[in-house]
Amino acid sequence: MADAAPVLELRGITKRFPGIVANDAVDFDLRVAEVHALLGENGAGKSTLMNVLYGLYHPDEGEILVSGKRARIHSPREAIELGIGMVHQHFMLIPVMTVAENIVLATEPTRAGVLLNYAGAVERVREISDRFGLAVDPNARIENITVGQQQRVEILKALYRGADILILDEPTAVLTPQEAGELFEVIESLKSQGKSIIFISHKLNEVLEIADRISVLRRGKMVETCTREGATEDSLARAMVGREVLLRVDKTPARPAEPLLEVEDVRVLDDRGLEAVRGVSLAVRAGEILGIAGVDGNGQSELIDAITGLRRIDSGRVRVAGREFEHASARQMLDAGIGHIPEDRHRRGLVLDFTLAENIALHDYAEPASSRFGWLFPRRLIERARRLLREFDVRGGAPETRAGALSGGNQQKVVIAREVSRNPRVLLAAQPTRGLDVGAIEYVHRRLVEERDKGRAILLISLELDEILSLADRILVIYEGRIVGEYPPDASEEELGVAMTGGGRREEVAV
Amino acid sequence: MTAQAPAATRAPGWLRLPRGANGVGVLGIALGLLAFWLALPPLASRTVVVPIAVGIAAAAAGIWAITRGERRVGWGAVVAAAVGIAGGILATRSSVENLETVVVWGALAAATLRAATPLTFAALGGMFSERSGVVNIGLEGIMLAGAFFGIWGADRTDSWVLGLVIAMIAGGLFALVHAFFSIHLRADQIVSGTAINFLALGITGYLFIDIYGEQGTPEGVPQIPDVRLGFLEDVTFIGPAFSQLNLMIWLSFACLLASYVVMFKTPLGLRIRSVGEHPKAADTLGISVYGIRYLGVVISGVLAALGGAYLSIGFVHSFIQNMTAGRGFIALAALIFGMWRPFGAFAAALLFGFSSALAQRLPEYSESAATLFQTLPYVLTLIAVAGVIGRSIPPAAVGRPYKKQ
Repeated sequence: MADAAPVLELRGITKRFPGIVANDAVDFDLRVAEVHALLGENGAGKSTLMNVLYGLYHPDEGEILVSGKRARIHSPREAIELGIGMVHQHFMLIPVMTVAENIVLATEPTRAGVLLNYAGAVERVREISDRFGLAVDPNARIENITVGQQQRVEILKALYRGADILILDEPTAVLTPQEAGELFEVIESLKSQGKSIIFISHKLNEVLEIADRISVLRRGKMVETCTREGATEDSLARAMVGREVLLRVDKTPARPAEPLLEVEDVRVLDDRGLEAVRGVSLAVRAGEILGIAGVDGNGQSELIDAITGLRRIDSGRVRVAGREFEHASARQMLDAGIGHIPEDRHRRGLVLDFTLAENIALHDYAEPASSRFGWLFPRRLIERARRLLREFDVRGGAPETRAGALSGGNQQKVVIAREVSRNPRVLLAAQPTRGLDVGAIEYVHRRLVEERDKGRAILLISLELDEILSLADRILVIYEGRIVGEYPPDASEEELGVAMTGGGRREEVAV
Repeated sequence: MTAQAPAATRAPGWLRLPRGANGVGVLGIALGLLAFWLALPPLASRTVVVPIAVGIAAAAAGIWAITRGERRVGWGAVVAAAVGIAGGILATRSSVENLETVVVWGALAAATLRAATPLTFAALGGMFSERSGVVNIGLEGIMLAGAFFGIWGADRTDSWVLGLVIAMIAGGLFALVHAFFSIHLRADQIVSGTAINFLALGITGYLFIDIYGEQGTPEGVPQIPDVRLGFLEDVTFIGPAFSQLNLMIWLSFACLLASYVVMFKTPLGLRIRSVGEHPKAADTLGISVYGIRYLGVVISGVLAALGGAYLSIGFVHSFIQNMTAGRGFIALAALIFGMWRPFGAFAAALLFGFSSALAQRLPEYSESAATLFQTLPYVLTLIAVAGVIGRSIPPAAVGRPYKKQ
């Protein structure tokens, strides 16, 4: 396979945006029937490069060759015509339409010239999905199928348009371990039928599992291209970040003390009035990290909202450091000693249009140091922010900087700085590393372990199994609003994955 | 999937019959309306007992449906029962002669169609605009422009056909202004639509006074003809209702069918809907979001102008300032009430048309009740938006300007 001719070649691609060079003379090639992984941190230029290839951006310099011929790609339509298909990280699917409608959109088969031939569309979709082993019901509506199936629809969309080159943009980010396994089988099947695949990721283990060759981008430059055989997780991480990275979290065994957060038989309704949390009981003790693993949408968000007072608890009790709360407001819960790192830092963690100093003061603006008799002291806010930004190593911003101007990792540091500086007894960390790159993840993980060792009780809720496995001292699995099992930190990924999808249910655990 | 009212399912769900508890709820709604109807001519039950008995049966069916989880339909049946009993009591208390002058079903049906037709055109137009993702609150002004330019064109060219064509062009141009502001300039679509309404009010008012002055539009302007179906005349109910309808009413039926086919059975319709639901997805597949939206808004202008022209040269035979009097807004309400679907919007237009036909006849009976009746479309729309009977869910991207990367 190594001597096969490249089906795609990018030569010296440079793309500049005001202030930065997003791609700096990048060379990249893709051979027939290979999986070539493109690895890099957020902001390394992966997306820019792929958008250039897909006709969404126009490069300032460099050329693109498809099957040896120079190609000019000015729009997605032209990319599609050249046989390039893209599976976006955020699916481009219309929820209220059927699978078949989504796949044939813009290239519809017709009857009598003007009428939509829906039966023909269904037939074509069946045909392609059989050929490549992508099982999905053409008549199902997108909103009623799983995320894994939606991804197959995206792949089918590209194949229906005759794509020979498939760009998969962070395809496993939204999948369960089982679904990721199925995706890898699909990729193998595509490869065996002569399709070439660009696999974009920042997860080192899966890149090593699926890719034939691996290229690493760092700050817009291509720093390394190697075969799978020549790479290890450590060598790839070093190439990505540019320095040695601690992939494993260093931590001593937990020394749990008294329970600080107790949740007893809590039931919570979601926005539609359906029961999303169905009788969850758990206890987090001082000096331990309790991890809750689960697939997105199994009641995690509602549980967090309930504990932090953002959502009414339908029934059940929450105790913080022995004090019981019923229908408490968010402020009461915060004052009781809960710190909250929310799962969506853009919508809930920060006010992006506020300065860092204002963001840090969001909780205690009314406390004496910040204000008195309803009068705010902005200079004190700035002083305090300056101290915290230094302490938490926030880079790229002064206290007067707008929060939206920071990178994701630094934004998250600001959130952590605010929450930890309030000295909470319980720290709720919901997907604390979502969208962060390797360097920032390392920081957040280290910090959470440090806070644990200071005697805080930490409740970690994450969709990333790796994260749960490397941080948690005990693991609970949540499925359809119930805790379906408790596992030790050395549980296997497979074991947890099965529980996360409702299989192999253990006896209900009341901790 | 949670249980929903049958109408909430999308095409071709409107053909599906309700079953189980849902069916009982629908039956309850029908019984509630029957309770009222029993007390009206030609049956005119003179005792209060009959409507009350039927109404109670309707309420019972509703409650039965509620207890089995079909809340929306169930509550709908209970409301229908209450309306039926109240209406029945009122009707049995008034004299039969009074009732008969108000309730003449054949004439009422014809009046309903006449009142519903402008709403149908504008609501169908609104569907094309909103399904492509652009709110067109300017329908009211565009209808008014259609009404004025229709009669002006017919007067100038001495031909109602050319009058209609000129009205359509005028409506299309007004819509184009709205399209340019809300698509290219990404202005707030409500603000832009409101501006269109005032612009149309000002322009038609100015031209009307400038051209026709005090006398108003002349008598002899060519009119859109009625279609006489002689063979139907003697059939009960059908005769008075359908034997002599304006050509535009039949044209509105054709438009209804065509709109349905285009929206749900052609590639173009699929593309319009995709742009209104998820413009970025459509864009990545090479569909021109701007092109489709311009098309949708211009179609809405052309159809709304037809509705307006029907008012001036098909129905009233003259033009007066602000003669649409809110019909564009009622058409939008019909669109929402009809869940952004052609037959739904048509059904809603008929319902609103019926309420205004009734309101025209009620003054003989009660002046104040007639005025109150005119608020019915808005009350019903509020109920529909609040989701009492099958929540009305708009296209996901409606009202949101799209910015290309």
